[in-house]
Amino acid sequence: MDTLLQILFNGLSVGAVYALFALGYTLVFSVLGVINFAQGAVFTLGAYFTYLLIGGAVGANGLLAGLALPFALPFWLALPLAGLAAALVSLLVEAVAFRPLRRRRAEPLLYLITSLGAGVILVNLIQLLMGAEGYSLPADSLGALPVALNLGGAQVRTVQLVLLGVSALVLIGLTLWLEGSRGGKALQAVSEDATTARLLGIDSDGMILLSFAVSGFLAGISGGLVGLSISITGPYFGIGFGLKALGVLVLGGLGSVPGAVLAGLIIGLAEALVPSELSGYKDAVAFAFLFAVLLLRPQGLLGRPQVTKV
Amino acid sequence: MIDPTLLVQMVLGALLGLSVYLPLSGGQLSLATPGFYAIGGYMAALLSTGWPALGGAAPLYPLPSLLLELGLAGALAAAVALAIGGPVLKLRGIYLAIATISLVEILRVLNLNLPFTGGAVGIFAIPQPFSDPAGYLGAALLLLLLVGLLCQRLEGMRFGRAQAAIRDDELAASCMGIDTARVKLTAFVISAVIAALTGVLSAHFLNTWNARQGSFDASITTLAFVVFGGSRSWLGPIAGGLALTAVPELLRPIGDLRLIVYGLVIVVGPVFFPQGLITPELLKGLARWWPWRQREAAP
Amino acid sequence: MQQRPPAEPLLAIEAVSCRFGGLLALDAVSLQVQEGEIFGLIGPNGAGKTTLFNVISGLTPPSGGRVLWRGTPMSRPSPERVNRLGIARTFQNLRLFDSLPVIENVLVGLHHAARQPLAGALLASPAFRRRQAVLRSQAIELLALVDLAELADQTAASLSYGDRRRLEIARALATAPALLLLDEPAAGMNPVEKDDLCALIDRIRAHFALTVLIIEHHVPLMMRLCDRLAVLNFGERIALGTPEQVRHDPAVIEAYLGGQP
Ligand SMILES: Nc1ncnc2c1ncn2[C@@H]1O[C@H](COP(=O)(O)OP(=O)(O)OP(=O)(O)O)[C@@H](O)[C@H]1O
Ligand SMILES: [Mg+2]
Repeated sequence: MDTLLQILFNGLSVGAVYALFALGYTLVFSVLGVINFAQGAVFTLGAYFTYLLIGGAVGANGLLAGLALPFALPFWLALPLAGLAAALVSLLVEAVAFRPLRRRRAEPLLYLITSLGAGVILVNLIQLLMGAEGYSLPADSLGALPVALNLGGAQVRTVQLVLLGVSALVLIGLTLWLEGSRGGKALQAVSEDATTARLLGIDSDGMILLSFAVSGFLAGISGGLVGLSISITGPYFGIGFGLKALGVLVLGGLGSVPGAVLAGLIIGLAEALVPSELSGYKDAVAFAFLFAVLLLRPQGLLGRPQVTKV
Repeated sequence: MIDPTLLVQMVLGALLGLSVYLPLSGGQLSLATPGFYAIGGYMAALLSTGWPALGGAAPLYPLPSLLLELGLAGALAAAVALAIGGPVLKLRGIYLAIATISLVEILRVLNLNLPFTGGAVGIFAIPQPFSDPAGYLGAALLLLLLVGLLCQRLEGMRFGRAQAAIRDDELAASCMGIDTARVKLTAFVISAVIAALTGVLSAHFLNTWNARQGSFDASITTLAFVVFGGSRSWLGPIAGGLALTAVPELLRPIGDLRLIVYGLVIVVGPVFFPQGLITPELLKGLARWWPWRQREAAP
Repeated sequence: MQQRPPAEPLLAIEAVSCRFGGLLALDAVSLQVQEGEIFGLIGPNGAGKTTLFNVISGLTPPSGGRVLWRGTPMSRPSPERVNRLGIARTFQNLRLFDSLPVIENVLVGLHHAARQPLAGALLASPAFRRRQAVLRSQAIELLALVDLAELADQTAASLSYGDRRRLEIARALATAPALLLLDEPAAGMNPVEKDDLCALIDRIRAHFALTVLIIEHHVPLMMRLCDRLAVLNFGERIALGTPEQVRHDPAVIEAYLGGQP
């Protein structure tokens, strides 16, 4: 039986990753006002990149069957590199699925479709190259660290601590960057009022690219972390997570960073508290929560209500 | 000659397209269609395999039983839509989309775990009312004809005008005396019924039914039917549903590449056809052609 | 020369307040609009004029006070119910149904009276078609009144600014109101168009036996057009009376000239 402390840790670590992933959606949403449905596929890619970078070999089914990189990096290095690779892919998604529509000032509805299309392409590319099978990161990915630690009498999996620690680190870094740096402030300015920001000389196209890059990085890191903790179940692995992260995002309030963190932790904890007899229903927890909250508070937990001025 | 099985799938796709289209033509981005589709399918699967009086053991499943299923599935979907529509339709834009996707996911998880829905495997050996695909094609086409006509008529009446007004400016519409909540709820309920009826036909046609039949990807795929076909006329989603259902099947010969190409089609389509295949201008052009063609036909 | 006032004002605003966060957009405003008059509402930018329209039309719930229609308080007013009571409005920042043809914009409004048997409509019965034809000719009549009949089939978005303003008036008239709320109908018009608009407002008032409540910044126009005027400033009603009374009111001069001697 898990102790309450273990459950708490489980919940918090998963929740922190949800938050991280959700923030990726927020960045793009706050700048462009649209949801990027390819985000789940970028997350999947992050996991695969991490797997390959730490020296994992491709299975027997894809076009790349049997292939492996000639080097094996430690997880600490592989994860940020996978994040960067995911950021590149995210830029590609922007170029293919967003920029042509933006040029034509298309209605926002179309972005849902094209980004989903980009996701379909990515997922099936993975399948084509690496097969449909699952992969798991080797047990010794974390080097010499013990599998579990004893914290106050409870056994806590080291992986959980890594998830929590890395997520916290990235979240803090992201906040510092958004609040402290020129780029971060410019991004916030564009998200608050694109027209005014343009008048102030902020390059909104550059900001859009920046938001895609950072959101891809966050998705890639989240993918790598989840891959480490529960193994990669196949090319479709990120879709469910992507949807849940979207739920987390809306639950917290679209565009609100603290909201996304709060909602991520709430959902992580709520899922961890589902008794094991009902574990089949775990995937519905986030959505049931979200549904209930939307009906009571349409702007989400920490979002600002929309006002239409007449 | 296209495989009749594919034709049935295409017609079912067109029906789902219409189901997404109805709320959308009133400006409501509701993606609940796959949820109601699943409800219809489970209704058909459970009734026809679990209630011997309906005649599931007969070599051909009796048509009256099929009609009964359609009636019950439509009624259940309407009841669910009425119950949740009031609060859900207060949400706008992307919030409505996400709430309805949540609903679809909740239903999917329930279907996967409830004791009577057959778990991940689902329900199989669903009895067949028709002995060959042509029978299904007939039934599906009949349904499509009825639903298409309904949509066409709705557009010409008070309800359709109200929908168009709400799509353009909901607040102004309410100031013109339109009961916007009621109009939106009506569209939502009709949309749910269409999806459920399609689910009933689909369950029999596929012979098995499981939780994968109503999932999040389906939400966006059915939306793609409408966007791709054109969201300004009821002919749009029909065209989009037919085309986008056919594409992955017709691409089967290229094997593993087919879904990649399908993805490309979805990415590129909206760029070149931002209004979809069937645009108001196209329809106007056709309308100009129409009487001329008739005159030509008459000697 | 004050006549004996009718027993009951058409619209009575009683101590209506409206607060947005720390801002008191309306501060216990009271006024009464009598049947048949053209009542003007003037005041500097941000005075709360549009907010008062929003309260009347059921878009913004007041934080205090009440609105009476023909002597009865409006209970839980929603925009559609207010419209069905007989109050129609236009918007300061034009809100037409842009993607629809001009005539459809008006037809949307005409539907208040167009309830019909569902079966007939679905089957396109002859009665239904006759009724549709009648509605269309009514719509054309309304459009002719505002000089837009020729443009009936263009989309609303394609109209010029002044045409759009008049289309909004026609659309509001289509709902057969007893009281018409006009929010800056002359904004963005040139002097000639403004004069035409004045004539139009007079014409429709006579034609439909309307009462009009109008917001407009152009004070000379208002002085000419209105039977009575109220002046709002920072959410307070600082003056009320005939154009002549208002013109000489010290509070109004103060508000408009910003306290200069
Ligand atoms: N929904 C709202 N939320 C917050 N503040 C609002 C809202 N609507 C109006 N206000 C504020 O209330 C005040 C009154 O606004 P209102 O639009 O009624 O002024 P107005 O008299 O119509 O001005 P104008 O002549 O510029 O149209 C303004 O300060 C405005 O910013
Ligand atoms: Mg105003």
